[in-house]
Amino acid sequence: MKPLKQSRLVQKLLLRHRSNNRLWASLIALFAGTTLLLIAVMIWWNFSLILSGTHDNDSLGSTFLTIGKQVTDQSMGKKGASLFTPKEISTIENAPQVQDVGMLVSNRFPVYASLSVANGFSTDMFLEAVPDRFMDKQPNGWSWQEGNTQVPIILSSDFLNLYNYGFALSQNLPQLSQTTIQALAFDITIGRGLYTEQYTGRVVGFSDRISSVLVPQSFIEHGNKTFAPNVPVAPSRLILQVKDPSDKRFAEFLQMNNYTTNTEQLRWNKMRGVVDAVASGTGVLALLLMGIGTLVFILFIELTIAKAEASLSLLLQMGYSPRYLAMFMMRRFVPLIVITLLASTIVAVILQEVIAAKGTALNVTLPHLPGWPVWAALAVSAGALLAFVSRAIFKAINQEQ
Amino acid sequence: MRLSLEHIVPIPLKDKINEYNSRVWNQQLTFNSGERVFIQAPSGTGKTTLIHFLYGLRKDYEGKIHWSAFKMHEINREQLSQLRASSVSVIFQDMRLFPELTTWENIEVKRRLTNTVSEYDAEKWLDKLGVKHKADSPASKLSYGEQQRVAIVRALVQPFEWLIMDEPFSHLDYANRQRAIALIDEVATMNRAGLLLADLDDNDYFTYSRKLLL
Repeated sequence: MKPLKQSRLVQKLLLRHRSNNRLWASLIALFAGTTLLLIAVMIWWNFSLILSGTHDNDSLGSTFLTIGKQVTDQSMGKKGASLFTPKEISTIENAPQVQDVGMLVSNRFPVYASLSVANGFSTDMFLEAVPDRFMDKQPNGWSWQEGNTQVPIILSSDFLNLYNYGFALSQNLPQLSQTTIQALAFDITIGRGLYTEQYTGRVVGFSDRISSVLVPQSFIEHGNKTFAPNVPVAPSRLILQVKDPSDKRFAEFLQMNNYTTNTEQLRWNKMRGVVDAVASGTGVLALLLMGIGTLVFILFIELTIAKAEASLSLLLQMGYSPRYLAMFMMRRFVPLIVITLLASTIVAVILQEVIAAKGTALNVTLPHLPGWPVWAALAVSAGALLAFVSRAIFKAINQEQ
Repeated sequence: MRLSLEHIVPIPLKDKINEYNSRVWNQQLTFNSGERVFIQAPSGTGKTTLIHFLYGLRKDYEGKIHWSAFKMHEINREQLSQLRASSVSVIFQDMRLFPELTTWENIEVKRRLTNTVSEYDAEKWLDKLGVKHKADSPASKLSYGEQQRVAIVRALVQPFEWLIMDEPFSHLDYANRQRAIALIDEVATMNRAGLLLADLDDNDYFTYSRKLLL
């Protein structure tokens, strides 16, 4: 007679009564719960990435905000009413969510630009400068030192859009591409009266973040020092690096102090609320479903053990150790859990890839793999599930005589 | 392995055993390794109860039972399984085979636990007791006599220092009983094991070193 495998005999005794329908039902519930949980975490995490401005999403304006004082009927005539005092700046530095504050310093001297190739096109204009750390991009050649005759300029993308879609169309002028603008050289004259300085300005890049005409800070400082040494250099606008612009406390702070900003940027506030509600709703549903899945799975195990009670009891009387039998059950059930969680993980990975692809189409860079919060959620749910299941198995077996 | 009984009194029979003169209940007894003990137990005196106490299936007694270092009142479940798997084997009065397994599977489920007896020996022993041809039959289809013989072989396919038996031949005719006795004697001698047999009537199935009235 052939020797028989011990595990096959034990399996025949303990798992003979297993109902496959119940097993499938519990595994499907578990899969749905885990997948939903991972999706809820992914929704929250992807949105956090966009909001916190990591992964090159700064140009969405989620991290950097330009604020100014609201010009009211009362403040209109007062000179310097729209300037920020050092005390106000320090208050803003300590405002909720604010990580860094930079001053947008404008020129206190006349600037006159002309375009020789356009045969006499000329205009008075203004220039501003911000510390380099607030720039969304620093193109090649973004520096200026005394003695340089070339001044690099970064133009707001909005200005080019205004020109192309508003001014050019209405005045029957040619629309200009970014590369064409960058190829043009402006003559810039600064100063007044007899004492002026001549420079050649060249647009080296476009900014989505700051609506202004930017030059290197050193150039503005040189001009202000040379042509307006006695005028205090208080900023009229500030650029803020904000951790989470959707924070209600931050929005309230701005409102309370009558500071204006691009309200579009604060629209995240509402969106964040909606996404938070969706993510929490999905999360609660996921936890509920996972709880039910776990419960069904544990009940299934307990039922399997209860149905095999006579065999289990006799195996213990034969000298089989409770630990061996519990481990035997674990070896049969844990792979099912692992496979279920693996299936959920695959769904999460595929979904993140799809999200990243959709994001790319919308000019939002998102990672192609789920981030650590998703893995953490997976690890915690797997740990909890294994703990519950092993506890249920050991408890059920230890109840047997 | 030495078996000690220190004033064992089954709680459900506490009042009853005071009415007669038991040589086992409430006595201080020590059985040495390799002893062959017969316990004669008239009906209702707690024969099966005693076997269950010794095998650790019940704990509703006063007093103490020691299998050498194993104290049955303190033993944990893992130690108990170790004791059952490799030191103390049992033949139950009600056989306790797995009805859903075949004869051979019933033997294998026990033999594979320790792998100390070869399948050749197990097969030979089934043959000796005349149940080898039933190897592939489900235990539920066997007669009581056949079940009892399978239960005897199952008790022998593990290492043991003591074999405790509760009416082990109650369903066997004379010839089958003699074959079973011969096999148990052979394997117990090979293992240098002690025997403890409890039955209703006096007998000389084995050469007993002690006979006690329960």
